[in-house]
Amino acid sequence: MTADIVIDFTRSEGAVLRLIGQVERRGFEVTSMTMAEHGAGPARLTLGVAPRDASRSFDTLSRHVAKIHGVTSVRAAERAPFMERAS
Amino acid sequence: MAALAAPIAQARTAPFTGAHAVVRALEAQGVEYVFGYPGGAIMPVYDALTGSSLKHVLVRHEQGAALAADGYARVSGKPGVCIATSGPGATNLVTGIANAFLDSVPMIAITGQTPTPLMGTDAFQEIDTFGITLPIVKHSFVVRDPADIPSVFAEAFALATAGRPGPVLIDLPKDVTQASLAVPPGIDQTGPAPRRKFEQPGAGAIANAIALIEQAKKPLLYVGGGVGIAAAEQALRAFHARTGIPAVATLKGLGAIPTGSENYLDMLGMHGGQAANLAVQESDLLIACGARFDDRATGKLDTFAPNARIIHFDADPSEISKLRDADVSLIGEMTAILDALRPARLDIQDWRDHCAAMKTRYAPRYDAPGSGVFAPALLKALSEQAGDDFIATCDVGQHQMWVAQHCRFSRPQAHLTSGGLGTMGYGIPAGIGALFAEPDATVVTITGDGSIMMNIQELATIKRYRLPLKIVLLDNAQLGMVRQWQELFFEENFSEIDLYDNPDFAELARAFGIEAFTVDRRSEVPDAIDRLLSARGPILAHVRIDPRENVWPLVPPGAANSQMMEA
Ligand SMILES: Cc1ncc(C[n+]2csc(CCOP(=O)(O)OP(=O)(O)O)c2C)c(N)n1
Repeated sequence: MTADIVIDFTRSEGAVLRLIGQVERRGFEVTSMTMAEHGAGPARLTLGVAPRDASRSFDTLSRHVAKIHGVTSVRAAERAPFMERAS
Repeated sequence: MAALAAPIAQARTAPFTGAHAVVRALEAQGVEYVFGYPGGAIMPVYDALTGSSLKHVLVRHEQGAALAADGYARVSGKPGVCIATSGPGATNLVTGIANAFLDSVPMIAITGQTPTPLMGTDAFQEIDTFGITLPIVKHSFVVRDPADIPSVFAEAFALATAGRPGPVLIDLPKDVTQASLAVPPGIDQTGPAPRRKFEQPGAGAIANAIALIEQAKKPLLYVGGGVGIAAAEQALRAFHARTGIPAVATLKGLGAIPTGSENYLDMLGMHGGQAANLAVQESDLLIACGARFDDRATGKLDTFAPNARIIHFDADPSEISKLRDADVSLIGEMTAILDALRPARLDIQDWRDHCAAMKTRYAPRYDAPGSGVFAPALLKALSEQAGDDFIATCDVGQHQMWVAQHCRFSRPQAHLTSGGLGTMGYGIPAGIGALFAEPDATVVTITGDGSIMMNIQELATIKRYRLPLKIVLLDNAQLGMVRQWQELFFEENFSEIDLYDNPDFAELARAFGIEAFTVDRRSEVPDAIDRLLSARGPILAHVRIDPRENVWPLVPPGAANSQMMEA
């Protein structure tokens, strides 16, 4: 089970490190990462994340990320499980 | 307490530098004390300190500075400030910063850094302090422009105290603090932030909580450290008194409800009392109040309070349903929430009676056989005799648990313990900080013969500032808590716990210029307590205890709280 976490945040020194570190420390693997180039304004980081064990919830992770100073919004969208069609 | 040395008058007409802006910013936040230790990269700030109103407390190891700032913050309610140089100074602060992080203590940690052009070149005493501390701070800054200093400091103080408090790091490259500022930057007068800014829970959530309380037959208040942090103990006591709902507390929640109160069952958890743990297991509604379902409190989580619905209130939304799903969550200002919770009818007299009977049945006993000192009895008597001004600062180990189990606490600030990190070496620096915050309190550090050696150098700080700290050293010539676990869970395979070659602690204290005496027998305890409490300066009681003594009861690791072991 993976989810995309979309994080809007104010740029500051170490901000990206802080976000990725929080995700890893709270028991998730970062499986993909996209960050659009931005100017001086707010930035957006989209992380694909997978829990390292079944006890981890995306909700709790989102709340932990939202607590980080400079984060303005967090959205988590679970990805539908990949289904292969039997031919 | 000795007055701190007056600042040496500055004859120089030095230019206004980034370092002066740092000092001004601290003054603007109303800081009185900073705990620190100088060195190369932070020297400009030390230079500027001499002309300021700040009182600097020179410790003898940077860990002492951070832990003293922690103790100061817990007692004063204001952020503790510590300061160190780059490299080893900063790394020595790390344990204290982590301690503050895990126990939600407001702290500003200021570190020097190599000049910005050298950062990233492995320069002398360059270490990535910002990177090392990322996981253990609420936020952190590297200041790259001296003009930013006022706003960074104002923001740091606001962050450290807002919501769930915590440490904020400010890393100051030397060129930034040395830079002259043609025009002194305006002081950011934001001032200390209001301690908490919250949206309050809606009327619906409050009504749901009240409904659950009214339906419950066996409700229980589960009180954590968040109550003291939110300064909500008066509201909690009022709620507890008007509802008569029985209560238990975590290690960090002790003192929120005074020891000995009616319908109060003391501490739950690994070394909690039987009555408290059994009440949790039997309850049908747990009202978690600033508590976070920590594993030391819950034991095996999926067996904790198996029949209970949960009302959880906390300042920190990320604590809600982190470990146990809440049926009703109330996020916001705790005093307002508690005041709003006014159930109309409660039918719980049988439950109250049952809890009271369990409390009597499982009350600790103090009639240990033999004539040696029985530490639990000593601690109980000492805290009772010290009265409401008593503040205990603990180290980590068996003695820490005996303090929690047997001392009398009249307020949350009466019990300073390293609950989250479990930092051996916390006790003495925290005692120093507590005395700077409340010079008239009866501050007692309770330590072990292992822990005291972790920050023994701070006896010099106590002597220098003539702090009337009372130290009770419970000496079992062992790393007692580790020995206890080896005895119980490692088939008595005793490995590296024997401290038979400890120094003569009373002599050692005297070498630092501190009055000291040794207690060997139970019959000497009353006089020892009198001597400790009547001493006007620092004093150390070296108390020899039986090395085989264990802490009881005990929930074995990984077991349910109902599976307590007794002596
Ligand atoms: C800095 C640090 N190192 C190691 C530990 C692990 N530890 C926990 S309790 C303990 C023994 C403490 O011995 P002592 O201070 O003599 O207290 P006692 O248990 O004998 O009362 C140890 C080593 C710790 N908590 N902190």
